[in-house]
Amino acid sequence: MTSQRLPTVFLVDDHALIRAGLRAELSGHVDVIGEADEVAAAIEMILERSPDVVLLDVHMPDGGGMAVLRAVTKEQPEVKFLALSVSDAAEDVIAVVRAGARGYVTKSIEGPELVEAIARTAAGDAVFSRRLAGFVLDAFANRSHDGSCAPALDPELDQLTPREIEVLRLIARGYSYRDIAGQLGIAIKTVESHVSAVLRKLQLSNRYQLTNWATERHLL
Amino acid sequence: MCSGLARRLGVRKRTVRIVTVLLALFFALGIAAYMTLWILQTRQGESASIFTKTFNDHRDKEILFAVSIAVLTLLITVGTIGVGPPGAFLWFLALSCLEAVMVWRGASEEERDHLREITSSISTTQAGRTVGWRAIALRTGLGIIFIIWGISLMSRVSGERDAAAYVLVGASALVLGLFALFAPWWIRSVQDLSMERRARVRAQDRADMAAHVHDSVMQTLSLIQRSANDSNEVTRLARQQERDLRSWLANPEMFGTQSPTPRTLSQSILDVESEIEDNYDVSVEAVTVGDAPIDDAILALVAACREAALNAAKWSGVRDIAIFVEVESKQISLFVRDQGSGFDPATIAPDRQGIAGSIVDRMRRHGGTAVITSSPGAGTEVELRLPRTSS
Repeated sequence: MTSQRLPTVFLVDDHALIRAGLRAELSGHVDVIGEADEVAAAIEMILERSPDVVLLDVHMPDGGGMAVLRAVTKEQPEVKFLALSVSDAAEDVIAVVRAGARGYVTKSIEGPELVEAIARTAAGDAVFSRRLAGFVLDAFANRSHDGSCAPALDPELDQLTPREIEVLRLIARGYSYRDIAGQLGIAIKTVESHVSAVLRKLQLSNRYQLTNWATERHLL
Repeated sequence: MCSGLARRLGVRKRTVRIVTVLLALFFALGIAAYMTLWILQTRQGESASIFTKTFNDHRDKEILFAVSIAVLTLLITVGTIGVGPPGAFLWFLALSCLEAVMVWRGASEEERDHLREITSSISTTQAGRTVGWRAIALRTGLGIIFIIWGISLMSRVSGERDAAAYVLVGASALVLGLFALFAPWWIRSVQDLSMERRARVRAQDRADMAAHVHDSVMQTLSLIQRSANDSNEVTRLARQQERDLRSWLANPEMFGTQSPTPRTLSQSILDVESEIEDNYDVSVEAVTVGDAPIDDAILALVAACREAALNAAKWSGVRDIAIFVEVESKQISLFVRDQGSGFDPATIAPDRQGIAGSIVDRMRRHGGTAVITSSPGAGTEVELRLPRTSS
């Protein structure tokens, strides 16, 4: 990464303190090319500057980060979003990821991890936190706590392969991609492609639990 | 209205008014006549009278029809009870009822406002109101008249046949009179009561909120100020407060009333998480997939998990501990992982209680297994597995 140019990053957060903190943590590792504290300004500036990655606070006033995400993705689908939030409630996570974010990190994330997550997002890979991995396992598992397990409509999208489940479990246990690659005896790139495949399924699947989140949050 | 009639008849306004009131008192004829005039007369500045308006409106006609039926039924009922054929008084009263309905439906917005003002002023007793005294006088007068009328009717009871009817009518008049006199006061006090109750609930809510913010946030802030030099302590306090607020926001009713014994596996894992975070300067993040109700074996699993996390908090030297629990149909897997200093399991004396007794043996007693993977410098992972017998 030292030889390549630094990824360009745009910050969207309504708290000035958080933006300042992010800038400080990221300085030297990424190129912060702008920041905004409200939805309309964010959309305009992002479309104008086309950053590699937008670090987006999910819980913003005026329709929140979701509005920014949708407006920008419509115009410039190549801009990638990494959602940032204090909450790790499953519905928030799923809502932003299904709306098109490449990943999700909580605000308690340490500086180096955030830099790594941004680099991974910029490279087009998915960023799964332990919690997101746990949720996906939960949502895709074929268990019936309450007997409401809908049959898989589209096996291609509604089911995870055994390898993908293995990778998700290791993420949920706290393994880095490198550790996972070592553990499973595969290349890091392969781990990344598994995670990206899971992200795609998460965004496109019509599984009951996922669509339920989505309809509750008025995303459909 | 009276002024219009006065103009037409060429009499003084006041005379017409007094005559109307007197007629109304004795025969109800006055009321009916007044209403009829109100309906038929075209109001100043308007094109049609209420009567024509009503008959041009389909809905109004329907309403009028319905009300007429109701009034007729009432009259016939009264007749059969024993008053004999309804007297002139009742007929006129009924007619005026119908006309009142017509007036209400057909009145212009302006008139309606005026009527509303009158009705609402009748139901207020506040002495300070400027419109008040006329309404009070009117109401008091009406009330007294009804009461006297009622009493006189009841005292006239002598004949056998009409007794019941007179008592009935008299009692009704009495009730009407009392109602006219005291209803506003009564309604107002009921309104005041409910308003007061609502205000009290709101104040209670605010007090609860203030108490909570004081107990938790304020206390924590003052603790943070006192230990400002100890960054670890500040982090711990902030984390504790964050968890506290989060659970309060998520479920304010349940807050503070948490049952001492958690009902499910995921709840007890959360308890382990907060206990270790509170007592050691570490952050524990538990991810659970699926859930299961508590039984003896699961209690043992949770206890082993707690022991493993405690070891990680004490010895790993890092501040992040990851717990992952997955409940499947045949088994429960639980992982406690840190990326700290690690150790060589072979060097741990077999009689050390921590790992052997609290983790490995405990799991074995319940048919489960415990595997500890660790090497110096590469962190530690404790892997617990518990087969599920039921389901």
